[in-house]
Amino acid sequence: MVKSFPGGIHPPYRKEATSALAIERMNPPKTVAIPLQQHIGSRCDPLVAVGDRVLMGQKIGDSSAPISAPVHSSVSGKVTAIEQRPHPNGRTVLSVVIANDFQDEMVALMPAPKLEQLTAEQLTALIREAGIVGMGGGGFPTHAKLKPPQGVVLDAVLLNGAECEPYLTTDHRVMLEWSADVVYGLRCLMKAARVEKGYIGIEVNKPDAIEALKAEAKDYSSIEIVSLAVKYPQGAEIQLIDACLGRKVPSGKLPLHVGVVVNNVHTAQAVAKSLRTGVPSIERVITVAGNCMERPGNLLVRVGTTFADILADRGLKCEPYKLISGGPMMGIAMYSADVAVCKCTSGILALSKDEATYRIPGNCVRCAKCVDVCPMLLHPTFIAQYAERGMMERAEEYGAVDCRECGACTYVCPVNLPLTQHIRLAKSDIYAKRK
Amino acid sequence: MRNFRVLMSGIIDENPTFRLLLGMCPTLAVSTAAFNGLGMGLAATAVLLASNVLISLMKPVIPDKIRIPCYVVVIATFVTMVDMVMGAFVPDLHSVLGIFIPLIVVNCIILQRAEAFASKNSVLSSAFDGIGMGLGFTLALVALSSVRELLGAGSIFGVNIMWHSFEPMRLMVSPPGAFIGLGLIIGLINTLRPKKA
Amino acid sequence: MEIKRLAVSSSPHLHSGDSVQSAMLHVLIALAPAAAFAVYHFGLHVLFVLLTGMAVAIAAEALILRLVKKPMTAIRDGSAAVTGLLLAMNLPAGIPLWTITIGAGLAIGIGKHVFGGLGHNPFNPALVARAILLVSWPERMTAWVGPMLISAATPLSEFRTSRIVPAYGDLLFGFKAGSIGEIAVFLLLLGGAYLIYRRIIDWKIPVSFIGTVALLTYILPAREQSSYFAGNPLFHVLSGGLVLGAFFMATDWTTSPVTKRGRVIMGVGCGILTSVIRLYGGMPEGVSYAILIMNGLTPLIDRYTLGSRSGAR
Repeated sequence: MVKSFPGGIHPPYRKEATSALAIERMNPPKTVAIPLQQHIGSRCDPLVAVGDRVLMGQKIGDSSAPISAPVHSSVSGKVTAIEQRPHPNGRTVLSVVIANDFQDEMVALMPAPKLEQLTAEQLTALIREAGIVGMGGGGFPTHAKLKPPQGVVLDAVLLNGAECEPYLTTDHRVMLEWSADVVYGLRCLMKAARVEKGYIGIEVNKPDAIEALKAEAKDYSSIEIVSLAVKYPQGAEIQLIDACLGRKVPSGKLPLHVGVVVNNVHTAQAVAKSLRTGVPSIERVITVAGNCMERPGNLLVRVGTTFADILADRGLKCEPYKLISGGPMMGIAMYSADVAVCKCTSGILALSKDEATYRIPGNCVRCAKCVDVCPMLLHPTFIAQYAERGMMERAEEYGAVDCRECGACTYVCPVNLPLTQHIRLAKSDIYAKRK
Repeated sequence: MRNFRVLMSGIIDENPTFRLLLGMCPTLAVSTAAFNGLGMGLAATAVLLASNVLISLMKPVIPDKIRIPCYVVVIATFVTMVDMVMGAFVPDLHSVLGIFIPLIVVNCIILQRAEAFASKNSVLSSAFDGIGMGLGFTLALVALSSVRELLGAGSIFGVNIMWHSFEPMRLMVSPPGAFIGLGLIIGLINTLRPKKA
Repeated sequence: MEIKRLAVSSSPHLHSGDSVQSAMLHVLIALAPAAAFAVYHFGLHVLFVLLTGMAVAIAAEALILRLVKKPMTAIRDGSAAVTGLLLAMNLPAGIPLWTITIGAGLAIGIGKHVFGGLGHNPFNPALVARAILLVSWPERMTAWVGPMLISAATPLSEFRTSRIVPAYGDLLFGFKAGSIGEIAVFLLLLGGAYLIYRRIIDWKIPVSFIGTVALLTYILPAREQSSYFAGNPLFHVLSGGLVLGAFFMATDWTTSPVTKRGRVIMGVGCGILTSVIRLYGGMPEGVSYAILIMNGLTPLIDRYTLGSRSGAR
């Protein structure tokens, strides 16, 4: 049976261009700019200095804060600068710029022993050292999810293979081509989180991936592959947990409060790969798509490669109207192509004007479409109108902070109101006041 | 000159009905025909003039704490006189206006002018204010009731002026018509008046 | 290729393409079969009534937009045409053109623009105009006719005096007297289903509205002479303006509740008022007043069904 959640929308998926294309390895660029913050939490401090020679896989940044993950060099070469560079989050972040010597000289690798010989603590430590963070877009350090706070009992690890964002086919290809790694990574995460049950939720528009993973997981009775309805935002944590397990995450709570750890399938693959080979998280698959791309595809790229390098490699047909890091529903529009790929960049979209036209907002006609599609069962138009008028207390009263910014309301609004933007504004205002 | 300004402000700038939105109850209730409006307006004007003058004269002797009851007594006296005079000389109009003549006692225009103007100004100014406000009220009533009578009965002051096959719009002589007509006239005036900087 | 300039905006970067204009177009499509049947059933005069209603509404909208100096592009959203058409469909077939002209002008002027235009009007503009016309020219508004504009009683008023129930087929397929738009119940149901399929309207309001009327007209005795649980719900559902009102008027975006629970309350409230007016009121039909009253309660319904963090789970 196909499982789902209340609300949601059916945007055009536009995955045809890349879903059948195998993952290609992109040639490493001349220079990489590796941001020292590729995760939610504290920024890493640089461990190298300008002029140092670094090896591929060498740790170049780390932090002692509990919510953080180390950063590794994705090439071998010389550090030419440590400076502020544009980051996919829209700000600038201290980044280590390395000139590639194209030797790909690797640090001494230490593959981990077999899963049976590792304890949960050892696994969590290895995952942290490999610098693994949520690769679906969130970028939350994976090791931090595996250590629940006092009083919380985990009982399941849920892998997110829904990939409900239009255009993106990253997770699809990862599940299809590296299904063994995905299942092995899930088993590692289950052991690290000390849980008995593992789930992989996949939208039914990826039947080949479902088949591949079912075949791979047939020997493990503790792992269940869940077919999900094709609906946006099926891949949002709260909706995924609702669909797969029927558990509702209460307002203001995290998935772990209902006993679930959610990870992206690409994250699981990265865990498996780094344990198997000892290579830390220094590369990832991204979907490069959009009407302006000459050759769209799924690329395995080094972390720190700039968007400009990737666009040059794949060729542009026309000048993009919008350049987006991530998917078109929740991704961030870039103001510059000098942004570097980080561990949580799931795609680069070069959209033409007719794909992402700006529409002039009117005034609310109370059609209630936003109420019908909101997966969090909020009333977006009311929250947005209060936010627009600066009435943040009322916006909070109506549940502004429960909004996950999926953008479904803005997508359906017949008068083109920027509802998500107003709610985002309310949220940041409310959080600022709470501090 | 100053008294002339007081007079004109009552008619135009501070028109009690259209600008101050006072005395809504009789305005809405009796403006079904132009003649009723005129009668009501003139009756109120008479009371307004007399009460303004008397209250202005008595202001040194009225104790501050009980001034409102004093005003009401003065106003009620004049209203009773007007009621009786109308009953004697224009019995038809008197019966049409009915309860709204005695209710002039609590008409907020008259009480407001007593409180806001007559109790603070000279007798002459108060007389001009009474006339100005009264004429302003009368003018507003005649305007509103003319529109209502024209659309709702096809006549003004009882004179049929619409074409033969005209079918009156009965809404306009019913209570909702009073609200809609008054709202539209106020809206029109607000639109036409030059905006103050 | 060199990238010179990139557009930056808050996500999402896609849009469904839905607009007020496309929604209004769907409403016009949904109403068209019932309107066409009315022209066939009553005669050509009805066509002129429908066209006059739409044309005057559009002209009034243009005039007012010009007077209040709003962008004339708003005329393209098609909401004026829908208002004009809905008003025309709520009038008897023999209505003179001057009446619909005044009505359409009032619908746009008093029903909509005095409150600030589309999205701000508290009451359904077409029903406001219908109420004004009904108060102003009651004889014109209750001069029901059959084919060829020959006088005839509507099933509801006939039932009230003689308790005669016409054939259900005639009621369903529209061979009866009544307002221009209300007779073709079957075609209206098709149109309503189309709007639900297109997600222009929510099923909750029409279903709870019609369901409540069916239930109450079955349970409650129609005045003293009949007993409880002896009503004729099918007759009440198929006659009068119930289907037109439930699918096309009570579901008006601006004047119906935004919350999901609120929409059910709206439908049930309309149903209760309609049933009570039909069974015990002074008029044979009460759909339009029921909807107008519930329109007035809409902000209150929204306020109380929003609750505190009602959406949070």
